[in-house]
Amino acid sequence: MSSPNLKVLLVDDEPSQPLALSLESRGFDCIIATDMSSAVTALEKNDIAALVTDVMMPPGQRFGRIDSSEAGIHLITYVKKNWPRLPIVCLSVIGDQVKIKLLTDRGVRYLRKGETPLSTAVEVVAAVATGTRVQVGTNEDSNRRRR
Amino acid sequence: MSRRGDGPRSIRRSSDDCDRPNHPPLPLVSDGRIAGSTKKLYAARMSSQAEDVNNEAAELRLEVAALKAQLEESTKSTTKYLQNVAHQLTAPLNAIKWSIEALKDKTVPLERKSKLLSSIYSQGTILVHLIKNFSLMSNLEADHELGQFREKPERVDPLRLAINLANDFQPQAFEGAKHINVDEGTFQEVFGEQRLLVVKNLIAQALSNLLENAVKYSNLQTSIAVEAVEMRIPKLGDGTWTGISVQSVGLPILPEEFKKLTDRGFRGVAARQKIPAGTGIGLYLAERVMDMHQGQLYGRVDGSTTTFMLLFPEARIK
Repeated sequence: MSSPNLKVLLVDDEPSQPLALSLESRGFDCIIATDMSSAVTALEKNDIAALVTDVMMPPGQRFGRIDSSEAGIHLITYVKKNWPRLPIVCLSVIGDQVKIKLLTDRGVRYLRKGETPLSTAVEVVAAVATGTRVQVGTNEDSNRRRR
Repeated sequence: MSRRGDGPRSIRRSSDDCDRPNHPPLPLVSDGRIAGSTKKLYAARMSSQAEDVNNEAAELRLEVAALKAQLEESTKSTTKYLQNVAHQLTAPLNAIKWSIEALKDKTVPLERKSKLLSSIYSQGTILVHLIKNFSLMSNLEADHELGQFREKPERVDPLRLAINLANDFQPQAFEGAKHINVDEGTFQEVFGEQRLLVVKNLIAQALSNLLENAVKYSNLQTSIAVEAVEMRIPKLGDGTWTGISVQSVGLPILPEEFKKLTDRGFRGVAARQKIPAGTGIGLYLAERVMDMHQGQLYGRVDGSTTTFMLLFPEARIK
């Protein structure tokens, strides 16, 4: 699954070291942003292959008026408008099915923190970054199977 | 359809009200029929009563609407609070699970794995601290009502306590290139051989809350100073107050928000924007703990420098 030089942008106010280490050990370059503003700056300056974002995060200076509890949703909207072809993975604790559906309807892959194994998250991110079909059962898929 | 039937009932009820002293009975003519002028009087009185009832109903409707809005607001904030708590519990748990998975991952180079061990430790500290705060909430309420401690106060070495807690939070601080510096000299100078006569668990939690806030809200690559202090506070009387201070440089606190910092669940706007998840109970609990020790949680803001102190009266220094 080695994909040298592909850059993955990880956006989280508490960046996940295990995810970054696992992706890097598989040949990806991880760029970390801890707020919405620095995420947008990173997107403007780099050729990013995939965006992985949380929902709750500081908006940062450039988007200071945005409520931190939903900054990730605003980031996704902004990215969809300005980089429509960039694959997005949302990695968060939100369990609100309406919000999740709004995201998945827009082509965002949603992985729930605490329930998704690291190996699944790594495979999903690697797959969307390289443009391959996701083979693994994602969180939503496994939830559906359980129902 | 049946609404028409409601009318007469309410009129009848209103007419009953006519028997009250301020409504004298309506005059009748000798054969028992109601005179024309009396009918007018009756109609006028009914209309006035109907207006009263309508006004009362309108007031009640407003009251119901206000209560409904209040309930909705309360439900909304409870939901938001629970989301916050869930986020705070899930984030460190997930970090621990993923760190363990990454440790087992053979593709991750060994030299990079040591970072994960440190992360597991700091996430564990966050989790334990958070859970302790939640359990303290209920215990403290009960203790406060009882007016006494569940545990017996004991002699606690303030320097040892400060060092142990600083060590607990240091891995978390390192992630932001921050350093917690306990000034041993001030402790020796202020306390000497004396100790704090306190409930250790409670004071440890209060000091942890100050340290956690300092680590969370201070600027990257700054130092957090933990010192022993001795001071007089004229507005609190003549005695000397002795204790531990935690000073950090970071998020400025607005003067109007400063007074509310110890309100249960309160979080300042800047704090919420910087760290979205938070329970807003840290300083509330610290103040409650200090109250129970007849002490003070004392705060001072000077620009971006914030100092919080746990101050004890002379009787608690033994």
